[in-house]
Amino acid sequence: MKLQVTQENLNKALMSVSRIASSRSTLPILANVLIKTTNNLLTISATNLSLAITHSIGAKISQEGSITVPARLMQDYVSSLPADIIELEVENNKLKLKTKNYTSTINGISADDYPEMPSIDKPSKFTIQSSSLKEALSEVVLVASNDETRPVLTGILFDSNEHGFLIAATDSYRLAEKKLTSLKKDFKLLIPASSIQDLLRILPDENITINIEYDDNQIKFNVNEIELLTRLLSGQYPDYQALIPKKFEIKATVDKQSMISIVKIANLFARETAGSIKINIKNNLVEINSIASQIGENNSSTEAQTSGQGEITLNAKYLLDALNVINSNKVDFNFNGKLEPILVTPNNQKNYLHIIMPLKS
Amino acid sequence: MKSNNIWQAVLGEIELSISHGNFITWFKNTQLVSDFDGNIIIGVNNIFVKQQLEKKFIDNIKAILQKNGVQVKNISFEIQNINHEDSTDINNEVVEDLEEIHQKDKIHQQLTNSLSHTYRQGLNEKYTFDNFIVGDGNELAFAACQAIVSQPGTRYNPLFIYGGVGIGKTHLIQAVGNYLVKNNNFSKVLYISTEQFVQEFVDALRFRKTADFVSHYRTADVLIVDDVQFIAGKEKIQEEFFHTFNALHQANKQIIISSDKPPKDIPTLEERLKSRFAWGMSIDMQNPDFETRCAIIKIKASEQGVDLTNDVVEFLANNIQTNIRELEGALNQLLAFCEMRQLEPNLTITSSLFSSIKSRPKHLSSRQIIEKTARYFQIQMEDILGAKRDKDIVVPRQVAMYILRSELHLSFPKIAKELGRKDHTTAIHSVDKIEKESKINMEIKKAITEITEKLYV
Repeated sequence: MKLQVTQENLNKALMSVSRIASSRSTLPILANVLIKTTNNLLTISATNLSLAITHSIGAKISQEGSITVPARLMQDYVSSLPADIIELEVENNKLKLKTKNYTSTINGISADDYPEMPSIDKPSKFTIQSSSLKEALSEVVLVASNDETRPVLTGILFDSNEHGFLIAATDSYRLAEKKLTSLKKDFKLLIPASSIQDLLRILPDENITINIEYDDNQIKFNVNEIELLTRLLSGQYPDYQALIPKKFEIKATVDKQSMISIVKIANLFARETAGSIKINIKNNLVEINSIASQIGENNSSTEAQTSGQGEITLNAKYLLDALNVINSNKVDFNFNGKLEPILVTPNNQKNYLHIIMPLKS
Repeated sequence: MKSNNIWQAVLGEIELSISHGNFITWFKNTQLVSDFDGNIIIGVNNIFVKQQLEKKFIDNIKAILQKNGVQVKNISFEIQNINHEDSTDINNEVVEDLEEIHQKDKIHQQLTNSLSHTYRQGLNEKYTFDNFIVGDGNELAFAACQAIVSQPGTRYNPLFIYGGVGIGKTHLIQAVGNYLVKNNNFSKVLYISTEQFVQEFVDALRFRKTADFVSHYRTADVLIVDDVQFIAGKEKIQEEFFHTFNALHQANKQIIISSDKPPKDIPTLEERLKSRFAWGMSIDMQNPDFETRCAIIKIKASEQGVDLTNDVVEFLANNIQTNIRELEGALNQLLAFCEMRQLEPNLTITSSLFSSIKSRPKHLSSRQIIEKTARYFQIQMEDILGAKRDKDIVVPRQVAMYILRSELHLSFPKIAKELGRKDHTTAIHSVDKIEKESKINMEIKKAITEITEKLYV
């Protein structure tokens, strides 16, 4: 292999890929990135056997070839080089990198030993705008569980039918669901939340069209020059719709920022009780109370438009998580008293909902 | 050969021919799905494995299969999601979780439905309430445990049981666990010794599995922790334990803890843990009284199919007063002795066998005793052996002499020599003095019992 590539391009590709390579794997070669020439493009790939990312960049290729080198070293090295043209050359499983002032050789392992980047044979396809996907995923992903004993809950549900495209997650203590415009397709896919985190990292800020291909066991996102392929989880996702209460007796609409600040303050006094804070809604006021027997107690309140009155005990962290992802100046709280879940939504918007289970007080 | 066995043979051979890392990564969780008419289908975990096997190992697999006498026309790989749990179970469980975790009458039902199998980590089935002998010293603890099994998590949470070695703490708390597993179908009863908890935590840190560790313990329905005093001085673990404790306590899960001393006496235990341990109920388990000791001997003997006469039982109960573990040891010794010689146990044999009970225990050296004494009083061994006459050194020195006399039955001149004294009258005086003091001074009495206990642990 022999080629020339700009430092910017190579660095960008290594940044999006090398995070996946893990030195903790049982297979040492998985700590490497695969560098390969295909059809006059240079592709940089890595996989952790659950997810694979391939980033293609333009390069002036004078001789085809491939190699794998340690991801960390490669990325650290390339990112510290000045913006210039880098010459890459492979000889006897060693990668030579040459710029005007720097020359180095990195010992690699033959690409033959690296797992093949998977492809999907007979994929189904759909497209989606990256901005709405990114927004939806970032509002939902933090709710997914990381408890491997219930694998389905570690996934993010993509549920598409005639009526709409739902993206949802739950860890059985809370639930988030975003509704996007219908894709006019029928599918239910369960994607590992960890892969979604990696997807969010590579989704660009500007709005582009993303091509998605999937079959029964894997899904591939094509984001510009980057391909991300991940396995799908199997299993029946819980029928969470049934849990969303249909009617609410107690309602409040609050300014989001002032709500965040009083929850944060209340949380200071809730460390001892693992974040449990009591929320009381009455007479156009939302009041939060938290008690730490050893430290002291706190009472904060903020103005609100309310109807009905009642109180509920929640985990402050969950509430803050919900408030932080809600994209609106005002938020609505709806609940039916102590024992039933509380619904948190952006004010007057029906496409996002966040549900939190109350704590026993 | 059955298809399963064939695949095992293939795996065995492949494991030898490739590196361990490769084998684990590519062949773990593979299975033979079908081998109908030479069409072999192998089930794999995901597409990465599938492609790698297709690319690199297919010829290898084919060759080994043929070597094992299997006709191979075609090998294909199929992605299977290996599911350990029935997904509908999870569905129900989550729905229940989400629905009403709060109504108490539902808690029980939810727990029984939540997992199809029960966890019983660390519990030994031989410890039950039925073979626990209730006496004066442990009545209260027994009653509290009975109350707990009738309504776990609601009364006496946490239950803190403390007392000396070998008086049945472990038996009692394990009995609670066993009872709950058996009668209430409690899904996750965890029994763990503190030492094990520490070990697992360290491993979790080392292999970066802290999340697994945390969720394992925080999802317990009943957590039983034995010998919690060993957590003293381990700050990070105390913190982790603190959070686990809080999470469980808040979810009204039962916590049972045992220790050799009350929470406030465990040195370097963080305040917040001390206060939490004392939160529910702390119960002191005492050494068994004479009648209880008799009852224990009788029951233990009859468990082994031997009926002891009353004089033998009383002799044993009288002569071994320290703790139940030693009592059992002595009984086993007697029964083994009689069985080997085909004798009926009687008082003569017993008394001749245990007349040597006062003789010096072989595994103890005088140096160990002095060392343990020094450590108990937190002074240097050199000081005890040295010439200083400060009060805080003289008393430990005298205690050491007393224990040398009472435990090892050394002669006074020997005791004096062990402690670097010239005159044996010093030793006589010290032993006398401590013997008298120990009857009136609780501090000294406690020191002696605790040091002696440590010698035999």
